[in-house]
Amino acid sequence: MHRHVFSIMGTSVSLSWRGAELTRDDLAEVEARFVDFDDRYSLYRDDTELSRVAQGTLALVDASEELRTTYALALDWRDRTSGAFSPHRPDGTIDLSGVVKALAMDAAAAILRSRECRNWCLNVGGDILVAGQAGDGAAWVVGIVDPDDRAALLTSASLGGARLACATSGSAERGDHIWALGAPSPEFVQVSVIAADIVTADVLATAIVAGGSVSLDVATRSWPIDVMTVDVAGQIRMSPGFAEAMSAAASLSV
Amino acid sequence: MRTRAVLGSIFGSVAVLVIGWQAGAAAAAAHSASASAAVTTSGTTSGTTTPSTSTGSTSSPGPTSSSASKSSSSKTYTGASADTPFGTVQVRITVASGKLTDVTAVHLTDNGGRSVEISNYAAPILRTEVLAAQSANVSSVGGATYTSQGYLTSLQSALDQAGLK
Repeated sequence: MHRHVFSIMGTSVSLSWRGAELTRDDLAEVEARFVDFDDRYSLYRDDTELSRVAQGTLALVDASEELRTTYALALDWRDRTSGAFSPHRPDGTIDLSGVVKALAMDAAAAILRSRECRNWCLNVGGDILVAGQAGDGAAWVVGIVDPDDRAALLTSASLGGARLACATSGSAERGDHIWALGAPSPEFVQVSVIAADIVTADVLATAIVAGGSVSLDVATRSWPIDVMTVDVAGQIRMSPGFAEAMSAAASLSV
Repeated sequence: MRTRAVLGSIFGSVAVLVIGWQAGAAAAAAHSASASAAVTTSGTTSGTTTPSTSTGSTSSPGPTSSSASKSSSSKTYTGASADTPFGTVQVRITVASGKLTDVTAVHLTDNGGRSVEISNYAAPILRTEVLAAQSANVSSVGGATYTSQGYLTSLQSALDQAGLK
């Protein structure tokens, strides 16, 4: 297994792969893709395109097609989640950090898929996207951190088949890009969503943290996803598919 | 949205059956209840056993299958299959002494080959039940986003350091 680690978007990226080699140029291209997204969408720097929109020095209609497309995608997710996911801060500022990391992962995955390497695992700040397998006949297994003890795993789940992405959101992220739907306190301290793609997984994990059990039920009814939630009392809930992914991981560890 | 319609029609079918049975429909020689939409559930009181069939259609009309199991006072009825984003699903009910005693999802497989439940509802699970998977040989660690600083003390960082050696 090979690994490559680098920092971007205020977090760390860890890429592991096996089988066919990824060249230094391949890795540089992956890194560059993350830099592109950070350069356009970061609100931690004044000079990015989105910062200029937020400052009012660049009108949205004059913004790049890429930015407007991303904003439209985020608005579409807002509508599909009845507002539980939102690209607007409470003060109205456009903040696309809820989708940008996942979109960057998608773009990096497109590069990786165009290479010979068929087995890789991309972890960006705790959100995970995989392809192929961790070993011959062995699925990728992801551990999920215990929100009460971040030095320990709560459980683990296997990824594969049509479930290749796992995103986790926590209520501690509030104020970053998760805004409550009028609820005074969060119901869930941590939500993990397994889906076919990382954007769906990430957006719905965010929406369920923001919208609580109502959003949880809507999400599990409306999308083919697997979910695990941890509420403020420490109670864990799992959809049937997540329990299956957990059992599969447990059997792989024997 | 289609899922909701499917589930709605399933509950609708079940409700029709329950009401039908409780209203004394069991006395009738044959009784069938059907929902207008995706899933049709039907049964007979004659106890005749017909091989369970599923049409794979979302618009199969009328009675589709009925099978008797257990004793003559307890029968199971299987509805037609319906395609949903989760895969193809079917519901089976058990009726005993004219009362609905059980509703189970018939386990079928989705596109990824996994068995699926009719409901994707997230149910409570005991902590002790998740412990078994803690010791799994994990390749990567998921959690709410950590910062570059936080990464240094994260489990993922420890994994990476072990892997980079």
